[in-house]
Amino acid sequence: MNLHEESIAYMEQFGEYCRTGVEQDVPGITPGRIYHYRRLITNVVNDTLRTAFPISVAALGEERWQELVDDFFSAGLPQTPQVWKLPFEFYQYHAEQETGNRLTLPFLDDLLYFEWMEIEIHTMPDRPYPDFVSEGNLFKDKLAFNPEYEIVQLEYPVHTNPVREAIQMKGDYFALIYRMPESGHVQFLSLSALNVYIITRLQEENLALDEIKHEFARVAGIESGKYLDEALERFLGDLLERKMILGFLIGSKTLSSAATS
Amino acid sequence: MEGRTVNVGLGLRRDIAEEILENRVLNPDFLEFAPENWMGMGGAWKRVMDRAVERYPITCHGLSLSLGSVEELDWKFISELKAFLDENRVSIYSEHLSYTKSRNAHLYDLLPIPFRQDAIDHVVDRIRRVQDALKRPLAIENVSYYTPVAAEMSEIEFVNEIVERSGCNMLLDVNNVYVNAFNHSYNAKEFIEQLPLERVAYIHMAGHEQVEPDLIIDTHGQPIIDPVYELFEWTIQKMEPVPVLLERDYNFEDLEQIQGELTRIRNILKKHWEVAHESA
Repeated sequence: MNLHEESIAYMEQFGEYCRTGVEQDVPGITPGRIYHYRRLITNVVNDTLRTAFPISVAALGEERWQELVDDFFSAGLPQTPQVWKLPFEFYQYHAEQETGNRLTLPFLDDLLYFEWMEIEIHTMPDRPYPDFVSEGNLFKDKLAFNPEYEIVQLEYPVHTNPVREAIQMKGDYFALIYRMPESGHVQFLSLSALNVYIITRLQEENLALDEIKHEFARVAGIESGKYLDEALERFLGDLLERKMILGFLIGSKTLSSAATS
Repeated sequence: MEGRTVNVGLGLRRDIAEEILENRVLNPDFLEFAPENWMGMGGAWKRVMDRAVERYPITCHGLSLSLGSVEELDWKFISELKAFLDENRVSIYSEHLSYTKSRNAHLYDLLPIPFRQDAIDHVVDRIRRVQDALKRPLAIENVSYYTPVAAEMSEIEFVNEIVERSGCNMLLDVNNVYVNAFNHSYNAKEFIEQLPLERVAYIHMAGHEQVEPDLIIDTHGQPIIDPVYELFEWTIQKMEPVPVLLERDYNFEDLEQIQGELTRIRNILKKHWEVAHESA
């Protein structure tokens, strides 16, 4: 380290004032000028977080929102060199600090997480698409899922209800958040736990629906048969229409091709 | 940009990305990315970036390398940065002579390094290490600063020794020289005359905002004022041709006005650089 203790101290005092607003005795500065650094820095942080969390800002109100931002920026030690990733650190900080419990805002973690995940899905690196064809059989063929998705679990349904209502509805909720193939726009769908089970099995284990539907019926405690088939066809057909399912996998042997070969 | 004497670029900002790629009004010769704003992105923004790279020569202007910081350089970030620069065929990579990280926290603005000998030694060492890692020269920007911090030498001494000893190039921000000369009461032309202009690889031009009778803030949000154009025209006559970038970070309502700035810069460059090269 070439820097001397004295220079280190001055630089850190300067930075400390900018981050916390607590006056520091930095020598050799022009009176009144250091304030502008803090002003510019807090503008960047405020704008970034406000833009990322519009629903949270509205739900919390200006004063409480600003408390959260000030607390994070003075104590949270932002680590990312990429300011657009700062909202994730903001969410992480308040989850770790249990700010929601402390301020009697039990929905806070869910709301910040859900709003961040919309950004995450929109901006995350591209994932390789499977090779697929648009014609096939929903039951017999392996499905080509849109790979750019995440399923998030929430305690409060902040993705479907206004916060004032969601807070009365504590439970287990799932949301599928995915990126549309052409536009890159983010969409989300509310899922039941059984929907999650189906998607996870079909996509992650690369199975065809016929391979799991009887097992699914046992797990769900429902009878196999026509009504179940119709319900599954509706669900998967909807995912196909919404481009969460892209089509039918090629390059791997499917049940329908095996049956005809 | 090879083979052309006059190159005038514009920063690729999300607000005007489509406009730039469609060339409805804006018509730059090259584009500049802030790598931090684009690295690691997929989806729609990645496609915008890919179209930009396909269409234009690219330069990059970093924000968070934090050359002056006490903290160790962020080698994970630098490794990702190198991949980004290579992938996008970036011709010039520049950064600020400042620090953005302090007491293990990023601050997302450019804080002034004390003009001191130990800080020079520190920054020179870090520039060399970054250049080695990136396998390309850095162009270091003279930053605007609103107050010195415990200075033991002048700004020009500080900048010059760092450029000389590190072997880096310079990004000369003409507006920053104007802003600093105003804020700290020195002569802008005398400052520029003392710089190693043969090391300038890139020029930035920008607008600013006067917020107090004796203070200008370097905002990148306003049109360039005439005295900055005059300082620019005076400066380029002392230099070999390099790319020139118009920095505009917000206030994109009047694109004709921004294109007018690009044209005015281009005309100044043509007047001095094209003529000089044709007669040479």
